[in-house]
Amino acid sequence: MPAQRAGETNAKSDYINQMNQGLGTCQAKESSAGTNQLSDQDLVAEVLRKDRKATAEFVARYANHVYGYVRRRLIPRADFVDDLVQEIFIAAWENLEKFRGDAPLRSWLLGIARHKVEDHYRKRLREIQLQDEEESAWDEPASFHELEEAIAKRKAGQRTQEILKTLPETYSVILLWRYWEKRSLRDIAVQIGKTEKGVERMLARARQQFKKRWYERQSPARG
Amino acid sequence: MSDNLQHEDRLFELLAQQADEAGSERAPSRLKAKLYTSLVQKQQESGRLLTLAESRANGHGLCVFEDLWSDLTSAEAAQSFNCCSVCHARVLAEHWEAVPIYWGHCPYVAFGKK
Repeated sequence: MPAQRAGETNAKSDYINQMNQGLGTCQAKESSAGTNQLSDQDLVAEVLRKDRKATAEFVARYANHVYGYVRRRLIPRADFVDDLVQEIFIAAWENLEKFRGDAPLRSWLLGIARHKVEDHYRKRLREIQLQDEEESAWDEPASFHELEEAIAKRKAGQRTQEILKTLPETYSVILLWRYWEKRSLRDIAVQIGKTEKGVERMLARARQQFKKRWYERQSPARG
Repeated sequence: MSDNLQHEDRLFELLAQQADEAGSERAPSRLKAKLYTSLVQKQQESGRLLTLAESRANGHGLCVFEDLWSDLTSAEAAQSFNCCSVCHARVLAEHWEAVPIYWGHCPYVAFGKK
């Protein structure tokens, strides 16, 4: 995409002019906070014109959102986060001309991030093989009262993140993909080339291991 | 789907929701610096950057180095040169958090601010 841009200066100028006419001005606007802040569309127009200062603002404004999202989705593998965030911003630049302003720029960027995260899940689930010895038998309790209580009291978030870090990567990835990204079993099965039943079994084991760790971590406090 | 399975699915959906709400981390300033550097590099691959004079006319402030560069040079190619590529602030910011540089309008300094 960037290679095509060299000969597209006029087309881009027209696009920017149209945007400017439509929006009135490309000048910085006064936000409610009292600081000058460009609107999403003005910012995009300036980044496309390769204004380096606007590009810096683009990074400053959205890096935290994208990083936060990727970090939460890659809980077990924090070492991949920086590279993935970088890929997302490069992909954003390469597709920025397609941004029409129908949704906020933040949502548009998070859409790209979601695709990249799912690419990562697909790749990891195909690459990693679960080690059988990592699974151990567990007498599952008849009810999950404590887990439910923690959820009801909205105190489950931090602990959930900690447990995800300790699970074998296959399990944390499948849980994140199914419940955090809300993907159906069928979608996941298609993406990783397994049967729906196979994914369901993997997910059941992942849930069981998660609950096991939840109760193991709780035991010392109870004793 | 059995009732048990539905219940368990619901539990995990709530766990996911609460884990997402459990706080969001800021991107390290080091990463922001690298993101900015790679984006500007990508922009340069497809032609010149907007000149510093045009950036200033758009309402953006220039750092002391860019200001000096802008006043000393007039050719468009020189004006479009990415001064940051030879600036120590970039090198420091890409390797350390919150580097002790206090130039106004330097993007690398700004990334380190809370």
